[in-house]
Amino acid sequence: MSKIVTLQQSIMAEDERFAAAIRESNERRGLLMVNMIGSPGCGKTTILERTAQSSGLSFGVIEGDLATNRDAERLDRLGVPVVQVNTHGGCHLEANVIEKAMESLPLDSLDVLFVENVGNLVCPAEFDLGEDFKAALLSTPEGADKPLKYPYLFSSSKVVLLTKVDLLPYLPFDMKMFSEDVKKLNPEAPVIPMNGMTGEGVEEWTKLLREKIREKKAHAR
Amino acid sequence: MHEVSLAESIASSLISLKKERGWERVVEVRLRIGALRQVFPEILCFAFETVTKGTELEGAELSIEDVPISFRCRDCGGCWGGDDPLCPECGSMHRETVAGNELEIESLEVEEQT
Repeated sequence: MSKIVTLQQSIMAEDERFAAAIRESNERRGLLMVNMIGSPGCGKTTILERTAQSSGLSFGVIEGDLATNRDAERLDRLGVPVVQVNTHGGCHLEANVIEKAMESLPLDSLDVLFVENVGNLVCPAEFDLGEDFKAALLSTPEGADKPLKYPYLFSSSKVVLLTKVDLLPYLPFDMKMFSEDVKKLNPEAPVIPMNGMTGEGVEEWTKLLREKIREKKAHAR
Repeated sequence: MHEVSLAESIASSLISLKKERGWERVVEVRLRIGALRQVFPEILCFAFETVTKGTELEGAELSIEDVPISFRCRDCGGCWGGDDPLCPECGSMHRETVAGNELEIESLEVEEQT
């Protein structure tokens, strides 16, 4: 005899338990966590380097890559506490991996924990890591049409960092279309134009982070 | 790739539920998946078949209900479906997503131990 059993439970229930535990522990500490998502080569690590050099914020990084410690080494050279996670082919990070990686970071002395997700505009956006918000990164050479082509990332992020804006004079990048498309998907997300070579935009990015850190610390239990 | 993660996650929940509730066999798994969730149904079914092969779940069928996108306007309270980002009533872009983000196991058909 067969019967129907109603479950109505999330497919990612197990993952969500890890994410909830991370959120809970960050809440107790008043630690802000930001999930940085963008394509390979869009400048995620460079933006973190510039943030380390000029923001004055104390932060740690969990680096997700398929292979190598290269990104972690770049941040380590700047004195940033960093843990490298290699996914060996996996296209995104999941919360259970983050929980483990967090154990090797001095969380009590940090204002922010960045997760630099695996370079990819698709699945990293789907997996809740327990972060406070996602930052979507897009570099100008990737093209202005990307928000509508990868709507989940751009609609679920709190901020969009548009990198490599120094290349705009050489590219057919339609800024008007880009801004309108982001607005359609996510009317409240600011777009911050950035240039990792000069540090342009880091001030505005830092200002946003400081605001979020203040909110987080005010709500710490 | 991300369909494989979902399939593994479904399989692992089902294996623990099956043990906990003493079911003989899981016949069918009914999912509800929102249109915003970037899931490719055929790939998810194939991934589920692959990850359950040789396990106690082998032979369980996945059926997927697609849930369309629906928004509610924060300004006038109107609801609308589809891809239009602006409220058709008042033109506002302040909206919340009320459907389309689902990623859930709705129900199961199981055989009980005799």
